[in-house]
Amino acid sequence: MIDDNPSEGFIRIDFDRGRPDPTFNTHIGNLYAKRGEKGTRDEFVMGFRVQPHMCNPAGGLHGGMMMSVADLVGTMGGGTLVGLRKFLPTVNMTFDFVAPAKVGDWVEGRAEVVRQTRSLLFTNIYLTVGEEKILRASSIAKIPSGDGFTFAKARLAREETASS
Amino acid sequence: MIKSVSKIPPGFREITEASGFAAANGPWFEKIEGRRVWRGFLPGPQHANALGIVHGGMLAAFLDSALGSVVWRAIDRRCVTLRLTLDYLSPARVGDWLEATGELVGQDEHMVHVRGRLYGPRHDVLGGLGDFALLSTRRQIPVRS
Repeated sequence: MIDDNPSEGFIRIDFDRGRPDPTFNTHIGNLYAKRGEKGTRDEFVMGFRVQPHMCNPAGGLHGGMMMSVADLVGTMGGGTLVGLRKFLPTVNMTFDFVAPAKVGDWVEGRAEVVRQTRSLLFTNIYLTVGEEKILRASSIAKIPSGDGFTFAKARLAREETASS
Repeated sequence: MIKSVSKIPPGFREITEASGFAAANGPWFEKIEGRRVWRGFLPGPQHANALGIVHGGMLAAFLDSALGSVVWRAIDRRCVTLRLTLDYLSPARVGDWLEATGELVGQDEHMVHVRGRLYGPRHDVLGGLGDFALLSTRRQIPVRS
């Protein structure tokens, strides 16, 4: 394990908030986020340091890790950009693996909102290392009617699943 | 753990040579019949999101890896993913055995196109279409998991 040494302004995201078992987002982590000025490119940025447990046998960042983070950037980041505070389930994602990343690289993910309708959110997502793009993704997420799954309800639902 | 083991269908063998991301998110299992392959895993709490269903990223990673294996078994060529398009059809529950398989739908000397699906005991979970670049047959790389 190498030191995460996050770039300036990044704070570690606590996905579990005291839950007994770590969820997937914690398990694959650590993941960090930075919030910037509204309307700028850095309004929401997710970041992580590539660790050996995120890699494939060839020593490159595993595609599964890239996709997991891009999915999160699309729903959490995209939701943040349009001011939605609910869980947005992903409907479709397309990933283009344009370049590799290696252990020790600091990867950042940013979402761009293409369009928001009443029930869908279309975003483009890029993962970058420095100035270089490593993944281009396009995402369609569902905007649930009403409150949908709020995070408080989500926690309850998870506890029920665990006990059943 | 006895309970988990009993959920693994006959014919599936644990992939023990996994490392890095695959090992951290395993164990993953594989069944091979001739040139066809099925991959399977039993999602636990570490694969779940805040809703208690299996994380989309985990499903994506698993199907991607399964499709790579499908190509390897079908034409004996290693490959890397160029593009993956996924449709999230329905949620997958923690504790349900999940399986993925696929088939080649197009091929030339540099690329293959693969259609894949990931399904649980009740219904399809994820549909996918992958474009993979074939690696040179001269290139030696470790087994991809």
